[in-house]
Amino acid sequence: MKIRAVPILFFLFLPFCGFGKAALPKAPDVRGKALQEGAELFVDYCSGCLGLSFVRRDQFAELGFSEKRIGEMMITDGYPGQPMRPTATREDQKLWFGAVPPDLSLAARARASEKGSGADWLTAYLRSFRRDESRPTGWNNDVFANVAMPHVLWEMQGAESPAADGRAASTRDAARAGEYERRIAGLVGFLVWASDPSAAFRKRVGIGVVAFLLVFSAMTLALKKEYCREIENERD
Amino acid sequence: MKTPPSEKYRSNGGLFADLLEWLDARLPLTAFWRNHFSEYRVPKNLNFWYFFGSLGLIVLSMQILTGIFLAMHYQPSAAPNADGLPAAFASVEYLMRDVNWGWLIRTTHSTGASAFFLVVYLHIFRCLLYGSYRKPRELLWIVGVLIFYLLMAEAFTGYVLPWGQMSFWAAQVITDLASAVPFFGNSLADWVRGDFSVGGATLGRFFALHVIALPLALILLIVLHLLALREVGSSHPDALSIHDPVETGEIGSIPFHPYYTVRELHAASVFFLVFFAVVFFAPEGGGTLLESENFLPADPLKTPEYIEPVWYFTPFYSMLRAMTRPLFGIDPKLLGVVSMNGAVAILFFLPWLDRSPVKSIRHRGAVFKLMLFLFVLAFLTLGFLGTKPPEHIVWGTIPGTSAAQTATFFYFFFFLSMPWWSKIVPQAPKTRNLRFK
Amino acid sequence: MKTNRKTHRETDSRRRSLLVAVAITGGSGMAAAAFPFLSSLAPSARAKLSAAPVEVDIGDLLPGQMKIVEWRARPVWILNRTAEMLASLTEVSGRVFDPESKQKQQPENCENATRSIRPNLLVVLGVCTHFGCSPVPRFERGDGEKMPADWPGGFACQCHGATFDFSGRAFKNTLAARNLEVPPHRYLSENRLLVGENAKNIQGAKE
Repeated sequence: MKIRAVPILFFLFLPFCGFGKAALPKAPDVRGKALQEGAELFVDYCSGCLGLSFVRRDQFAELGFSEKRIGEMMITDGYPGQPMRPTATREDQKLWFGAVPPDLSLAARARASEKGSGADWLTAYLRSFRRDESRPTGWNNDVFANVAMPHVLWEMQGAESPAADGRAASTRDAARAGEYERRIAGLVGFLVWASDPSAAFRKRVGIGVVAFLLVFSAMTLALKKEYCREIENERD
Repeated sequence: MKTPPSEKYRSNGGLFADLLEWLDARLPLTAFWRNHFSEYRVPKNLNFWYFFGSLGLIVLSMQILTGIFLAMHYQPSAAPNADGLPAAFASVEYLMRDVNWGWLIRTTHSTGASAFFLVVYLHIFRCLLYGSYRKPRELLWIVGVLIFYLLMAEAFTGYVLPWGQMSFWAAQVITDLASAVPFFGNSLADWVRGDFSVGGATLGRFFALHVIALPLALILLIVLHLLALREVGSSHPDALSIHDPVETGEIGSIPFHPYYTVRELHAASVFFLVFFAVVFFAPEGGGTLLESENFLPADPLKTPEYIEPVWYFTPFYSMLRAMTRPLFGIDPKLLGVVSMNGAVAILFFLPWLDRSPVKSIRHRGAVFKLMLFLFVLAFLTLGFLGTKPPEHIVWGTIPGTSAAQTATFFYFFFFLSMPWWSKIVPQAPKTRNLRFK
Repeated sequence: MKTNRKTHRETDSRRRSLLVAVAITGGSGMAAAAFPFLSSLAPSARAKLSAAPVEVDIGDLLPGQMKIVEWRARPVWILNRTAEMLASLTEVSGRVFDPESKQKQQPENCENATRSIRPNLLVVLGVCTHFGCSPVPRFERGDGEKMPADWPGGFACQCHGATFDFSGRAFKNTLAARNLEVPPHRYLSENRLLVGENAKNIQGAKE
């Protein structure tokens, strides 16, 4: 193991490095039923304003929904290939909120940083709404300063009214807090899926490919050794 | 140059052999095979560091293949689609989600770009270790540096195509460098961009450059690189000087085929193993391969908090940023551009800066080893600093800018003072310990 | 100095088997690697799901009039057939290639004499089944110079001369051998037609 190998190892391990200390708490891993609940939560609470323009209705079937259930779940009529667009127009949203709500198709990938993954950021964001009377909506967020989005999930978090701070309520009612955590975990899990639907498939295929390449490398190594035994004896 | 009839392939019967004989009578197949494979003699002692050249060819082929299939679906337009997202950005997501196996083709291409630079940097490092740029290989080296330049242009234009936030702002920053040129800098920048600010015009031309112009130029240069290599033969890790009999005979040589074809097959196999492990399990590479900011569509009105290039450009970006004070009456912006370009340009002169009587690190003694180590350290430091914001403090005490300035200074010092320190060698070369794999 | 303890033959045979093994494994690896590229050329998920179904207002379509709408980037003809046009269907039964629409060019609820859900309304893709040009209407009987004297009325394709009757059935002895395709469609109400979706439980032509 020569000292020269050090730079190689540096570059080889770079892609697999997490970066330093995570400043954000880790979001829980979500699958199966929880993902479905997250999807329904998104459709119910978020899809009015926030679009997922790269996700089509029929793709919800990948999460385990039947075609019938998808039809029931959606707020507006539509056809299977229809992208998840917000029901409000962009002009109206600019007028109401001062900014057009971003498309969330890639939110979970775009919010990754040194501090943590996109899921970590989204979870922290959903936890960190607080009352702020100086803002037009009355809400501000510790993770995303001066966000134009109001705290849509105030009731789920446990506040008695939209004017009350949900976090204070959460600390009083542990069961409610736990339920909120569970539900936003599902929502964030859904957004993670939406940002990279082929992730699970990719990993499955990856196992096969890497296994094949391991076997193949062993074979080429044997072949190499077979030939290179005679190099010392090679006459020019 | 015609192959004598006696040396042409003669079939022993069988359809395939007959076909080969027919082809060989009409194309220089036998000559090619002999000259480049079965009778091309290569030093016996080439080690692991010598594989990166052929790995570069493999990565190039992979990039071209995946690139062709990406270009079938990609839309080089910044115009917004029905959802208000730029068409280019949307077409990349379309590739990732809707095109069958599109996600695999895209991530292979994006990881491949990083792999290309990793391979090329290690290839260059090998040249520094063993003096592969020394006479008679100066032209081989110069063509190689030209390839490196073009590769950087190719990677840069390619990175702009997804039209994410980082794509757009990297294009903005780098095309704006043209405005550092005195007198006509601003017009030059407009000319490069095709507009007064980066936009659809820029995207269009970067697409044409990335897909056709630069690949053609790269392929031509690589052919030239290989021709030059064939002309002078491969260097080897124990090279003393050009007058050294080892250069010509003592080490001994073996035919490229089957010995090196078999070894390079294995090297390629291991490379693919590592490469596809990354593609399938860490395609974003923790933000190094696919930067998270680039998953946001380009917004000309909103600059990202940190604009940083992909890892392979960070050393040079660091140099650009390190120039914060004017020097010799040149303003910092121009100084930054000059040092960034100078850092690559100075490589052209390396064959003449190195005055050592010996070529390989194995015979060069402690001074060279120390200087090379510090050089690599400076390069890596610059690279690391390039991933951080300019205000970053190293180890809590050293301001990042100072560290970058020191490292940049040493980078240039390494080259500019080389004519002097390279002459320092041990009195007699160590007894040769010829190692074979 | 040969220090080989093995005989030549053993070395050769081991070498050969290794070469064969590597060649086969490598070859199958390359074939597997080609698959994603070739597959990416096939219609993508987006293409398969295609554009939205198209809603058409047919309230203003008088008998004898035809509307053309675009669906999946192809023209769809909606023709409100007159009694004369419908009468000609039985007349030309002997002259068309597939009078009973045995070939699956229509959803199952259109496998009837008029090839439609409602007797008078023909909904058909205006794409010639020969090579895909769009035929033109030739509704007049014995249409002057353009058509032969015994022309009963229908559609004619200007590319290679294929002709179709008022149900889109291809005439014999022309280059088209299949009837014009009837797209999936259903009626939302008296005056509204939806092209692109069949009514529930109806089997489409080509799924």
